[in-house]
Amino acid sequence: MADPASGSGDKSVQVKLVLLGEAAVGKSSVVLRFVSNEFQANKEPTIGAAFLTQKCRLEDRVLRYEIWDTAGQERFHSLAPMYYRNAQAAVVVYDVTKASSLEKAKSWVKELQRQANPNIVIALAGNKVDLVLPSPSTSGANSLSESEDEADDATATPGETPGADSQPESLRQVPREEAQAYAAEANLLFFETSAKTGEGVVEIFTEIAKKIPIEHILASTRGGAGRPGAAGARPGQRQEGVNLEENQAKSKDACNC
Amino acid sequence: MEINAVLSLGVQGEEDSYAGKLYILPPYLTFSSVDRKSVRFTIPLSTIRRVERLNARAGIYALSLGLWHGMKIIVQLTSLRPTADVFCSLLRDSLKVELQRGQMKAVKTFVKTCYSEALVPTESSVGDNEREDGSLISEEKDGSPPRESTYHGGLGLKFKFPGDPKKLREASKIKLWTTYLRAHGRNLTLLRYPQCTRLVQVGLPNRLRGEMWETLSGSLYLRFANPGVYQRTLDENKGRTTTSTEDIEKDLHRSLPEYAGYQDEEGIAALRRVLQAYSFKNPELGYCQAMNILAAAILIYMSEEQAFWLLGVLCDRLLPGYYSQSMHGTLLDQRVFESLVQRCLPIIHDHFQEVDVQLSVASLPWFLSLFINSMPMVFAFRIVDCFFCMGPKVLFQVGLAILKINGEKLLEIQDDGGFLHLMRDYFASLGDSAHPQSSDPRARAITRFQELLLVSFREFAVITDETILSERRRFRSEIIHSIESFSKRSAVRNLKSLERFSKEQAGMIYDALYKAMFMVPNTVIATPPTPSLLAANGEPDERPETRIELRTFQYFLSEIATWARDEKVVSNGFQQRIDRSIAEHEFIDRLFFFWDTSCKGALSFQDLVSGLDGVMFNDLMENIEWFFNLHDKNKDGFLSKDEVLTLSETFLFIFRYEIGDAYLGAVSRFMTNAFEYGDALLPDHEKSEEKPDGESTKPQAGSNTPYLNLATFRMVVLADEVLESFFETDLSASFRLESVPDMDLPPSSSGLLGDIWSNIATADNKKIFHKFTDEIGKTIGKHQVIHRPSIGRYTKLDEPKAHESLLTPSMRKSPSKSSLTTTSSTLSIPATPPMLSVDSSKKLPMRPSEYSPLPMVKAANAALMERSHFAIDDATGDDDTDDESERGADDDQVMDEVDAFLEAHDSGLTAADKEVANDLLHAKPVK
Ligand SMILES: Nc1nc2c(ncn2[C@@H]2O[C@H](COP(=O)(O)OP(=O)(O)O)[C@@H](O)[C@H]2O)c(=O)[nH]1
Ligand SMILES: [Mg+2]
Repeated sequence: MADPASGSGDKSVQVKLVLLGEAAVGKSSVVLRFVSNEFQANKEPTIGAAFLTQKCRLEDRVLRYEIWDTAGQERFHSLAPMYYRNAQAAVVVYDVTKASSLEKAKSWVKELQRQANPNIVIALAGNKVDLVLPSPSTSGANSLSESEDEADDATATPGETPGADSQPESLRQVPREEAQAYAAEANLLFFETSAKTGEGVVEIFTEIAKKIPIEHILASTRGGAGRPGAAGARPGQRQEGVNLEENQAKSKDACNC
Repeated sequence: MEINAVLSLGVQGEEDSYAGKLYILPPYLTFSSVDRKSVRFTIPLSTIRRVERLNARAGIYALSLGLWHGMKIIVQLTSLRPTADVFCSLLRDSLKVELQRGQMKAVKTFVKTCYSEALVPTESSVGDNEREDGSLISEEKDGSPPRESTYHGGLGLKFKFPGDPKKLREASKIKLWTTYLRAHGRNLTLLRYPQCTRLVQVGLPNRLRGEMWETLSGSLYLRFANPGVYQRTLDENKGRTTTSTEDIEKDLHRSLPEYAGYQDEEGIAALRRVLQAYSFKNPELGYCQAMNILAAAILIYMSEEQAFWLLGVLCDRLLPGYYSQSMHGTLLDQRVFESLVQRCLPIIHDHFQEVDVQLSVASLPWFLSLFINSMPMVFAFRIVDCFFCMGPKVLFQVGLAILKINGEKLLEIQDDGGFLHLMRDYFASLGDSAHPQSSDPRARAITRFQELLLVSFREFAVITDETILSERRRFRSEIIHSIESFSKRSAVRNLKSLERFSKEQAGMIYDALYKAMFMVPNTVIATPPTPSLLAANGEPDERPETRIELRTFQYFLSEIATWARDEKVVSNGFQQRIDRSIAEHEFIDRLFFFWDTSCKGALSFQDLVSGLDGVMFNDLMENIEWFFNLHDKNKDGFLSKDEVLTLSETFLFIFRYEIGDAYLGAVSRFMTNAFEYGDALLPDHEKSEEKPDGESTKPQAGSNTPYLNLATFRMVVLADEVLESFFETDLSASFRLESVPDMDLPPSSSGLLGDIWSNIATADNKKIFHKFTDEIGKTIGKHQVIHRPSIGRYTKLDEPKAHESLLTPSMRKSPSKSSLTTTSSTLSIPATPPMLSVDSSKKLPMRPSEYSPLPMVKAANAALMERSHFAIDDATGDDDTDDESERGADDDQVMDEVDAFLEAHDSGLTAADKEVANDLLHAKPVK
């Protein structure tokens, strides 16, 4: 196992992560939940992308996420490559209450798989799941009203829809199974999340952390920063021998466990 | 009209004289000094109240112009006497026109909306003492009652302006500006002398800021020329929701939220109205994130109406293409900035390359939000002051200076994150001393922000407007090309189905589509139904999609299908060329609606791909069926008699330029056989009984009743060699994805005209050349025009045989002569090929001049270079970057002198101070 106390303290592995998805699906809220564990109206004007960092502890190692939260407006699309280039991870967010946002998410996934770093780890996150899941306190009432619905539906004239706001489940436009099946097919991590309640948010980042080929990152970089594409292209002219060896030692340890 | 002139101010000794050029560009009179930067003005003719010819020494032709604000300017016309005479009479006429338009009266009402009027009372020597305390609270709280409270102002009047007024030395700045404005005019009549720029560089006083932004950027003139337009735009679009208004709503509460005015519904509502009004005025651009930051910023200093016009100038002129759908202007200027960094700061550039850090991750918001989103507002607004006064090059100069000042630390960064953190820290420290360790208190007093401006305007004075323009030109096509291929790739990637095409082929279809959209833009722009509308219809909330209308489709098809264009090979003895135009025919319209499977009246990229797939991969039988279905309008599996006729017309249209009689013969045989078999196969008498009038008991179908089914149609087609081969291969092959070959065949003679040819390769010239050579050709009898055939298989005059064997004798009932004769009367079969018959087609001129493999490049070029020379441009400022520094003045201090002066005389300025200030401002050697 690794010896954590080697001089400079815990040397963290830096992971560049980008958030993509249609406007207003909750990208910034998810990041805010992850970084400061809170939920509030987004006060930060984002031009291009917002940049945040957050550490993530995973067993014996610490990952330092460099998070790029991109602007969702369609016309900023052509700027997105600037942010996802060299990214080791991406979270593609959609809104479970909006079917079209999954389509947009799929097109981002396609784009990432074609244009981004080939080893990129992609997670698909269906956000705002609080809007469609009965919260524990009201679940009884909810299931009751649902069964009432079914009874209603049986007698109601076809095409008449029950009031949308009273039944959370009816807000759902993307069935979990559908998204999950797509994620499996496209080889993505999949989560349903709520930035509001915090459900599923941290999991995204820890699962990504597990899947990131950390050894690969370490092997391909000098110094603490993980920049695979760049480092490969340019043979190192810098002298950071000490750090380098330290990292390599660590990565060997990691292989053993 | 322009004329050489020497400008001097009416008051002796107030300013030096400047030589330059005077222009009448009705309704403006503008002047620009020889260096194009020292002295400039743009004044509406309607502010000229008096013109006198000065009685001076012989040989000198001078006019004295009395302006609305009471000052006099003297222009000595130094061009030749006749020119001066013409100029004067033009001036006189233009003034008359303005008088008749009632503009003279409009001035009076308009200037009252300007703060400077309250600052400098027109009744002259009334003291300007009342605002000396520099109080930034609104007028009413002042001791003295406001003389004119009709001037426009921003949220700052109510919610205070950012920054500490004492520190900003508001009172002294106001004082200096009052002096300047009194002597040099204000708002509509502002004359821009060098000290104007220098006063701007030390920061505009908050209360005057809004008006000066308007004046310096030129948006003031738009507001003057369009009274009431802002309010009308809002009224006319009341209650409308669009994609833009929805996007705006999301951003209202994240636009300078730290400013008190935007924690209040009043500020939010103003911001909403201004952004919406702009999006209504310019629906194609609509709303782009970052515009909220600009609008929020300027609304602190100006009224909604002022902000509306200024936002327009920003988005349309000063930051061209920044906020457009493709954001090409943003991408372009980022590229330009990168290249300037490479040129001016090569070491930093190389380091960034080495560690693979992209400049834009930091610099993008600098440009998109004019630094407002990056720096503390007080500092950002001073950069904005300079930006409006000196033009867009300021953004590049400041950007370079930021990198230069942080050079050493930048060389240590290893990644994007490090870069951003460094920049963040630097911006947060702009208020600190730039030389905290210095023993000289004066040096210690210089802030990092002042240092930034010094470096920007001193060291990067080499960056001029011309630099920026030429760099933009250099990278334009590269950027456009990358945007194009980027959007092409994502369009192809996002197709629901590629059908049987390869990606490359789909890309070619995309190219043809975009070329068509450029050449024949949709008539109604921005009509994609808004998401809310779609949602209301229960349809999925679809992203707005590119769809083309029929007219655009005609062009598109002419790019792909050989028979959808008319091509004439013209030879005139000197050259051979192909003149091309778009064919119009009902068949093409039919195809359009056939492919419009979702019945939207417009075709998407996917529709085109699927539509083409439906014909390009067909074999003989599939093609026959496809063709049949295309003409079976009600899809009942039968063609009516009318439809058979239409189908025959389609044949004639497609074959219209084929050489020889083969195709005509085939069509004629087709018709004979179709009617023959059709009649023969009529389900006899039931048919006639259905007809209510029962006019006939003969087995004859009405022109609209089901008549010919697919099997019969197929049989008739296969009975003919020509038609068979058409459906077998030629139809599918007539759709070609490779781009249409060049219009111009190489000149047939490489002699004199050939040489001329190579020198005149502009499109307009080509047209003229073509005409010219055609004329010569006609005279010498060598002019010849041949229509290029679309299919070109049966070129000989021999008549292919019908496949007799296929016609079973039993089916050969007696042809119903009657029906055939009616037919031939409705459809005139031409006796001589080609083209007589079907040519009901009006031809769309194809504008060969704009023929370009990269239509988007042209579109974007046009958009980028569109800055026509208009008076407003003159006012938007290009340059100052004073020359003093080059003359050895102490770099570190020149910029700061006015600041220092203000510091020392912060409370109360005397007449003596004014002199000092004047001396200071004059300290510069003048030509
Ligand atoms: N109910 C609910 N609302 C959310 C959730 N996440 C975000 N929102 C809301 O959705 C809106 C858009 O969120 P934002 O984070 O700005 O989306 P972005 O444009 O993707 O960054 C905001 O009003 C959020 O409050 C969530 O998990 N549940
Ligand atoms: Mg966001």
